[in-house]
Amino acid sequence: MEYPEKHRLIVEDLMAGRFILSREKHFEVLKGNEPFYTEFFKKSFDYQLVVTEEYAYIVSEDTDETISRDISIFFAILCYELDKQGKNFLDGLQYSEYSFEEVNQLFENSSYTDLIQTNKQLKDDDSRRKLLFSTMSRKNIIDKVTDDKFYFTPAYKIFIDFAREVADMQVAEEDN
Amino acid sequence: MIKAEPKTILYFLWNYFDVVKDLFDIQADEGIIKKEMFAEVLKKHDKDIKQQLLEYKILKSQKDDYELRDVYYKMLEFVLFEFRPMLPEEIAKFGMAIGELFKRIRGKSEGNKEILLERIRALSTQIREFSDAVEKNSIRLLNETRDLKANAAKVDYREKIQRASFWIHYYIIPLNTILDVNHKESVSNRLLEISEYANQMRLNSTEEEIRQSFERLYFMLRQTNDDLLRQSKILTHELLPLIERIRTESIILTGFIKLLKNPYKITPPRLTSSNKKNPVSDKIYLSTKEYFEQFSYMSETFIDQYSEDMDKWLFKKEVYKKKLVSQLPVENFFGWCMEQFNEDPAGLTNEKVFAVTSLLFDQDFDVSYSEKSKAFKVTTRTAKLNVPLLKISQHGIPGKAQVNS
Repeated sequence: MEYPEKHRLIVEDLMAGRFILSREKHFEVLKGNEPFYTEFFKKSFDYQLVVTEEYAYIVSEDTDETISRDISIFFAILCYELDKQGKNFLDGLQYSEYSFEEVNQLFENSSYTDLIQTNKQLKDDDSRRKLLFSTMSRKNIIDKVTDDKFYFTPAYKIFIDFAREVADMQVAEEDN
Repeated sequence: MIKAEPKTILYFLWNYFDVVKDLFDIQADEGIIKKEMFAEVLKKHDKDIKQQLLEYKILKSQKDDYELRDVYYKMLEFVLFEFRPMLPEEIAKFGMAIGELFKRIRGKSEGNKEILLERIRALSTQIREFSDAVEKNSIRLLNETRDLKANAAKVDYREKIQRASFWIHYYIIPLNTILDVNHKESVSNRLLEISEYANQMRLNSTEEEIRQSFERLYFMLRQTNDDLLRQSKILTHELLPLIERIRTESIILTGFIKLLKNPYKITPPRLTSSNKKNPVSDKIYLSTKEYFEQFSYMSETFIDQYSEDMDKWLFKKEVYKKKLVSQLPVENFFGWCMEQFNEDPAGLTNEKVFAVTSLLFDQDFDVSYSEKSKAFKVTTRTAKLNVPLLKISQHGIPGKAQVNS
């Protein structure tokens, strides 16, 4: 049997919990062979492959819930603080380049102090730097420009969609 | 009839503008100026000008209450740039009037030149009012939207979503429909049709006065169409995206705030963990290298086969057998063992205990054991051994206790 080109890279990236972005060359291969990879991950590992126009990732029962929660909290506080400053956070996430210091200050001045201080990945400068430049970078959620600057990749949309679902849940709860 | 001079009225307005503005604000909010509120405004400014307000026809009575006359209300709206948002239905009525007048104009009233000129004039007025209404609405909607974005009123995100949805649903989308030139029934589309007709008539009409009248209409329409196009662009390119974004962002923030309230009760997005498991450690290369390197630097070892191990203890069975025989009967064999090594500087070792234990198998001794007796502990240099209490006597010769009994 002949596997698609860059097969190993595709499998390694997805299995490592990375998002493959549309700008990456192996995304095209993955997208072009979507039915094959959907079946491949389902039959090999019982994983669900999700491919959008902008990124691809796999979903499994074996979820890294702590990291996912910490990143969700990170985005929640970031968006809340940007909105408080009157900024369009959706535009910011999509188009802006951020410096670590800029983001760090938002967390320093946030009113969610208790939540930040009790979260291992957000509690101080070093933890936040590690979360951004190590965890989120490794997962392809941010792209490092320099040691201090970065921008968000389209993978941030997972967390925005998640917030939308939570809001819908709340509306449904209140309606009931 | 107004007795006062126009300048007197304008001077009055200039002089008491703050009072008039407060009355305008009340009417803008409430729709009418209640008599109590009217009295309150006059008291606040300490001005007794009720008589002039009524005499100059700035204010009119509505039973016991008051309202600003339309002409002043509109003037104040204009100078203050604070317009009441008109419902699209209100704006659409201009479209109906424009359509009806155009139908009549096109229906040829050449037989009556005067009525044709009147209709063209009336059409121009309707078009102008329509254009003003659209512009005022755009300004008001933009202001409302920007206020909502800045959230000066500190409304919560749920209310922001509702307000944004309200503006979109009842004002912006219907207004956009009125302005959409691609929509067959839109007022803008009708104005383009009129513009085309006016263009033909300004060139073809034989009557000079009618020709000039159509020319004025044509040029006014060109300007109006440009203005409407600009307003339409503001609606579609700025206002609608802005308010849509407010709505979307508010929805997202509502979700995020709920998460921040109960971060550990909401299941986060499912991200696959990096669960790459190797059958061997990922450090296998370095570990293996390190393991083999320890041998490559081993120093040379010599085995001296002639040297003697001077410290090695040898069990001399006969010596210990003699000692045991001389002390028979022995009530506690292992206790006796320990006594034999009390004087030995090397102390008692496991090896010594097990070696001496071999005496138990000598046929010259009788070994007896009582189940009732307790276990005995032998402490060596490296262990504590629980052993039975064994009694030793010479084979065929009973112990003292047996002799006495």
